[in-house]
Amino acid sequence: MSGASTRSRWTSETGPASLFGGKDAPLFGRRQRRPRGPRLPVIAVTGFLGSGKTTLIRALLDKPEGANTAVVVNEYGEIGIDNALLRSSSDVTVLLGNGCLCCNIRTDLQETLRGLFADRARGAVPSFERVVIETSGLADPGPVLQTFATDRALGREFYLQALVSVVDAVNGEGNLERMPEAKKQVALADRIIVSKSDLVDPGATGRVVEYIASLNAAPVTNAVNGEIEPSFLLDEPLSTRQRFDLGDTEHSHGLCSFSLFFDEPLSWPSFEQTMAVLTALRGHDLLRVKGFLALHECRGPVVVHFVQHVAHPPVELEDWPDADRRSRLVFVTRDLPRELVAQLFASVAQIVAPLVHRAPQAPIVLS
Amino acid sequence: MTDTAIWNFRQLAHHELDGFGGIGEGMSIQIAKDGRRILWLAHESAPKNFTAVDVSDPRAPKIVARADLPQSHMRSNSLETVGDIMAVAYQTKEQGLQPAGFELFDISVPENPRSITFFDCSGPHSRGVHQLWFADGEYIHMSSSAPDFTPTHPRDDQFYRIIDVKNPSKPVEVGRWWLPGTRQGDSEPPPVRHPEGADTGFRPHNTNVYPERPDRAYLGYIDGGMVILDISDKARPKMVARWDYHPPYHGFTHTVVPFFDRNLFIVSDECVRTEGGDWPKLVWIVDGRTEANPVPIATCPLPPLDNYMRRGARYGAHNLYENLPKPNAWKSDRIVLATYFNGGLRAYDTTNPYQPAEIGYFVPAPPERAPSGAIQINDVFVDERQIVYTVDRHVGGLYTLEMDF
Repeated sequence: MSGASTRSRWTSETGPASLFGGKDAPLFGRRQRRPRGPRLPVIAVTGFLGSGKTTLIRALLDKPEGANTAVVVNEYGEIGIDNALLRSSSDVTVLLGNGCLCCNIRTDLQETLRGLFADRARGAVPSFERVVIETSGLADPGPVLQTFATDRALGREFYLQALVSVVDAVNGEGNLERMPEAKKQVALADRIIVSKSDLVDPGATGRVVEYIASLNAAPVTNAVNGEIEPSFLLDEPLSTRQRFDLGDTEHSHGLCSFSLFFDEPLSWPSFEQTMAVLTALRGHDLLRVKGFLALHECRGPVVVHFVQHVAHPPVELEDWPDADRRSRLVFVTRDLPRELVAQLFASVAQIVAPLVHRAPQAPIVLS
Repeated sequence: MTDTAIWNFRQLAHHELDGFGGIGEGMSIQIAKDGRRILWLAHESAPKNFTAVDVSDPRAPKIVARADLPQSHMRSNSLETVGDIMAVAYQTKEQGLQPAGFELFDISVPENPRSITFFDCSGPHSRGVHQLWFADGEYIHMSSSAPDFTPTHPRDDQFYRIIDVKNPSKPVEVGRWWLPGTRQGDSEPPPVRHPEGADTGFRPHNTNVYPERPDRAYLGYIDGGMVILDISDKARPKMVARWDYHPPYHGFTHTVVPFFDRNLFIVSDECVRTEGGDWPKLVWIVDGRTEANPVPIATCPLPPLDNYMRRGARYGAHNLYENLPKPNAWKSDRIVLATYFNGGLRAYDTTNPYQPAEIGYFVPAPPERAPSGAIQINDVFVDERQIVYTVDRHVGGLYTLEMDF
């Protein structure tokens, strides 16, 4: 998909909404109670080889909260070992082909999940209600995130609820220092788990946690033998406030992480065109953008999610997750600092403003 | 035994109704004077007439009242409440029996429903009332026989009748309509019968009227398809549209629910044969932009055939949640909730009406004493708290759920 693909495809005046939308047609389809709507939640677990991903997933499956989970394992190297560990405790386990999930195997992941969904619909596998994907240690999480972006792939059936990164307290700091993939796994994660903290002194664990905090403001917890509160893995966060409130980590290790807040509602064309410029010119460096928008055109807040040049379909919620009604976006970028992005938003908003005020009722179609 | 399959619903409670868990197509919420929320349920067959369940706490439903039918050859099947008045349909097994008609009750004390009046519809060709719609407190719209109605074919014994119940102790018929050719003496020829075994009659099932269009009645006319009537003059209803898709489909159009703002009709069939004998029985999405020419544009995905057809008893569509125009009923013009007998309760998002998408299901494990060994989810109601009530046709009773989509 090219950078221009974020162009007004969701504000199209043709299509079912123009025939059957009704008086109260939401711009992005039915307003949802939560970002995932009715879609099946997917939890993707990343982490370097030996960091404890399998232990974590096994521990989850052993708990009542882990029932009705389908597990997809992407094992790099020794096929079958991890898969055999998981099969005994999970309803459905699928082993992906040998290889790393980041590039060529992405198609396998799509086919596997599509097959799982079809098998579930026809009753060939039990009625699972979530999927946990264990990625291979070397996987770049970006393509996994992109996999769920579009209807053409899996975006209609599945929703990536959480990208979880496991960092072990023993080798984690070294991996993060040396391996760009490890750094990226942590930088993009929604939740981070520090494993094996029982094997090192508290000071060492503290240093790993500090390193993680310099890359990402996501919640962090410790796990020993994979034991954590299942909700840390499974719950859909109603509020991502925590992420927005923590400080920026700009220019740390070449990765920037920062938040933007907008006191006034945005217009969709303004937001869309700003993102079109960013994805077209710097999509490769736009590792992940997530957030809530207060839009002129919508009653509820709109959840947006971009991974590099790919935009997930926006979802309008019935209500805000908390009292804060401001648009807010969190960016994880490579050498793309906050000032430039903020300036671009401001400039495009000024260009679009007269159009929005001229015809406040009609959505503007830019094509 | 098959386990419960549940997706994007949360089960709150299950009440087998103390051994009388066979429920028909009447589910209505009353808010009693003391604030209790009472769900009135019509039983599918004798010996029970209706059961009242206190669902104020949907996690702990409690039976507060239950009535028996006076005759074992009757069934109530359908009921509705408006305020403290309840209307209950009575249909007999065969024509000519009594009592056949409907009864109005004062339910101001839910523990003690008191009969106000009985409206007699019995006659030599009458089985009485199969289904009634009572939403505005003034008129009952129903599928009923009448003493003065002789059908051209015995299976066409019921037709559409409008009864004024503004004075509940003296209901009066104010209008009626039947498919031309189904009454003896009609100048039109009788309709062509469906093949024997699939001939379920040219008569209405559900007869829905909404305040958005008080001049329209939306009828599922069984083997006659969907019928829209102009009832601006209640004494002289006129047909404005008919969509008949049988054959090749097997008949038994059951319910028509308009999504007014969106110019859509949601139309359900009823599956009436077991083990897929009349497959496919469907929920249809119909383009209603040109009222006189309804056009089907999609169907909701059925529960998977291979997995359900041979589970026992019926497999296919039946009741829809009907957006009841009452204060204690949920309204949605995007979500369709439909019951599929052994396929359970299913939820669909119709935001793109060309591709309705399944977004949830609830297929309870078969009740222990299920005669067919299968669950037979029969009807569904949703209150304004978005609590979902669904019932089994034979023994399973009442399930309460939350929607989680």
